[in-house]
Amino acid sequence: MSGLLGSLRRLIFGETWTIPLGIGAALAAAELMRTALSESVWTSVGGFGLAVMVIAALACSLRRPG
Amino acid sequence: MSAIAASTVDVGFLLTAAAAAVAVAIEMLEALAIVLAVGVTRGFRDALAGALAAVVVVVLLCLALGPALLGEADLDFLRVIVGSLLLLFGLEWMRKGILRMAGRRRRSSAYDEFIEERDALGGGQAGGGGPDWAARLVAFKGVLLEGLEVGLIVLALGGTPGHLAPALLGTAVALALVAAIGLMLHEPLRRLPETQLKLGVGVALTSFGTFFTAEGLAVDWPLGDVALLYLAALVAITAWLAVRRLVPAALVAGAR
Repeated sequence: MSGLLGSLRRLIFGETWTIPLGIGAALAAAELMRTALSESVWTSVGGFGLAVMVIAALACSLRRPG
Repeated sequence: MSAIAASTVDVGFLLTAAAAAVAVAIEMLEALAIVLAVGVTRGFRDALAGALAAVVVVVLLCLALGPALLGEADLDFLRVIVGSLLLLFGLEWMRKGILRMAGRRRRSSAYDEFIEERDALGGGQAGGGGPDWAARLVAFKGVLLEGLEVGLIVLALGGTPGHLAPALLGTAVALALVAAIGLMLHEPLRRLPETQLKLGVGVALTSFGTFFTAEGLAVDWPLGDVALLYLAALVAITAWLAVRRLVPAALVAGAR
């Protein structure tokens, strides 16, 4: 049973905590950017900011592959 | 103007269907490898019984979760949830794919999984003529875990308005394809470039995840759904650069 639960955890969160934590950090940073920038600026460039943060999360997970 | 609108709708439809088809096909191939291994070593009746029970559980879970996910939730909140889920899957598939392509991790192979599972199961046989519960449990667990991943990916891809039909269409195509491969048994498993396909699915899921999450945070992507294409290009280039960066280090480590 614990083996199945462990498999389910790996299924949803993956093998490393870096990715879920990175996604959480990217969402938090995006929300901060959204409040800091004007609405028109956020609407047009916010997506690219989020994309950069997602790529940064991937890069972090590759630096700590375990 | 209407032609441009129609073409952007088609891009979203086609990309959703393609991403669902490839993701579902790969996951189902892994499930097929387990069922084949159980069937060959312990009997196909028990393998199919375990697999069918898992399919029933996955379908029931999707029917329970689907309406909650696709129902009355606030659309922007839903996009953030769906996008985050796709990012979780996409980045994990990309991480594994990059490490495999760089030689830092064993390449993915449903055929190898079939051989390993077959060898692991080969030791013990069911006693008497009754049900082989160990074999059924192995088939059930394998199909349940792969099936849950399929269900979550399809629900996430189809979770925003206009994307459910292409996600289901892609799933149907993938299921037909994997069933055909299953009928031809294990030879085609050996020929699939699984590592590259999984990395490609990771790129697609990450692009969709970034796209939906940003839309949920009130971003207007330039060119609408076409943004999926330039996001996919950006993510694919990142993966290629990451593989190039990791390969020499892996070779150096291997030479020591």
